[in-house]
Amino acid sequence: MRRVIAASLALALGLSAVIALRTANADQPARFERGSWHALNAAHAGRPTVIHFWGLTCGPCIVELPKWGRLLAERPDLPLVLVAADPLPQPAAQVNGTLERAGLDKAESWAFADRFYERLRYEIDPAWSGELPRTVLVAADGTRTVLPGVADLSKVRDWLDQQARSSR
Amino acid sequence: MRRLVLSALAAMALAGPAKAQHQDHATKAFAADAREAFTATPAFGPDGALWIARGTADRVLVSRSTDLGKTFGAPVSVTADPINLDWGPDSRPQLVIDRNGGVVVSYAIFQDKRFNGRVYATRSTDGGSTFAPRVPITSDSTSQRFQTIGIDPAGRLFAAWIDKRNAAATLAAGKPYPGAALAYAWADAGADKAARFVDTQLAFDNTCECCRLGLAFAGPGRPALLFRNVFDGGVRDHAVVTFADPKTPGPLRRVSTDDWKLDACPHHGPSLAIASDGSYHAAWFTGGSVRQGLFYARADNADAPFGVPRALSTPDRQPARPSVQAVGTVIHLAWKEFDGEKALVRWQLSSDGGRTWNPPRTVAATGDASDHPLLIARGTQVFLSWLTKDEGYRLIPLGEST
Repeated sequence: MRRVIAASLALALGLSAVIALRTANADQPARFERGSWHALNAAHAGRPTVIHFWGLTCGPCIVELPKWGRLLAERPDLPLVLVAADPLPQPAAQVNGTLERAGLDKAESWAFADRFYERLRYEIDPAWSGELPRTVLVAADGTRTVLPGVADLSKVRDWLDQQARSSR
Repeated sequence: MRRLVLSALAAMALAGPAKAQHQDHATKAFAADAREAFTATPAFGPDGALWIARGTADRVLVSRSTDLGKTFGAPVSVTADPINLDWGPDSRPQLVIDRNGGVVVSYAIFQDKRFNGRVYATRSTDGGSTFAPRVPITSDSTSQRFQTIGIDPAGRLFAAWIDKRNAAATLAAGKPYPGAALAYAWADAGADKAARFVDTQLAFDNTCECCRLGLAFAGPGRPALLFRNVFDGGVRDHAVVTFADPKTPGPLRRVSTDDWKLDACPHHGPSLAIASDGSYHAAWFTGGSVRQGLFYARADNADAPFGVPRALSTPDRQPARPSVQAVGTVIHLAWKEFDGEKALVRWQLSSDGGRTWNPPRTVAATGDASDHPLLIARGTQVFLSWLTKDEGYRLIPLGEST
């Protein structure tokens, strides 16, 4: 019984998440400005979230993105948020095109929209100097794990399993 | 004390717009979300006039000031047509004034959407009124970016840049090639009106592909370059090379073992100065396992090892974009950091060739986007040159009373 409730809950949550994303997609990427980091975290508070920072001007990021696309296809439970953190804001069409080619067009997506990037980075993590790619795993209880550079996706899989276990 | 600093900052902010009115479109700011260059590269001429080369969306604009940056003459575009100027965060047009008062400008454009660049140079021999047709800095068209140009103590024009010809050829052959190559060339001594660089040489393969280079001269025909190298295992730490003569780059010397293993490019290059006693002064950024943040180190001479790196600020203030300038054995050091609200330029002075340093001081601040802070000398006077979105262009004299 308990499992059935959990499953239907997950289904309901999943559906509402899909609906939320469908609506969000029209305006994606969302403009990441001063205060956006707080808003993003508040919107996902209490739920596990994987926040992946990438950039159109970051070669290794472009190589890595399709691997995230495959992980998302394999694990629909991946609560992925993408943030394009280029120091110079990039055209939305190029951000969207790159994400679509990587199979990531359905995921929640943001892009830096302020050239005062020092301030945006400071809000995210004062000690982060902007190196990309970078992944932040936020557990339901708010515990954060930072994966600097190209992420080892087996670690992300393990983390997802662990989140699923601890939410049971 | 805090209130004092704040009111000083407020005064600076107030002073901003009034000043900007005199500066015309040579320093015009961009839209908040524009993908365009926002840089000002300064140079002093033999007559003491200040020149700046402004990188904008589609032009390089050159203008001259005879009152130390308070007012500028009408800006002149170095090209007749719009260009796709490289807007990378560590890229900027280069500007030097040669011994004859010729205004030499070099800039990079993007050739495609994959950030392959092409570097051009041009010169004005009529006091910046007109510029010669641009000439590519090298005949190979693969990709050049992050050029730096300088004039050696004998008056010869030198250029170095990051070149991808070997990377492209090696990768096309299915072999790995981390980074790009460090290339250099000297200008044709025949010196027609154009700034024509000839006989490109590659000094080293596998240097970091998107960080600016630090350039100084150890003597006539002896450039010294500080650059982010790709060491074994993909470790992107800094190295310096000093030329034995114009055609002979010396050995690659590691400045510091920071152990920054990174399969990416941080778009964050170093700065180098050589003092009159021959000592080397290097400042750089790293995120290595050994140390993280902004660092300074000195070496007694071209062959001596660098001393223990000294941290500039702390990593949680995002210290960045160092600039080093030597006048005799007086060394100036400036960098940018962020205090949670404002970007600050911090300045430090050594009067004994970099052995001891005054405490750092904030010499300028801004509340929005800004270019890198650059140090520039006229005689023994050193200035901070800084372009900010809110305040426009500023040239600030640095000294004990600053």
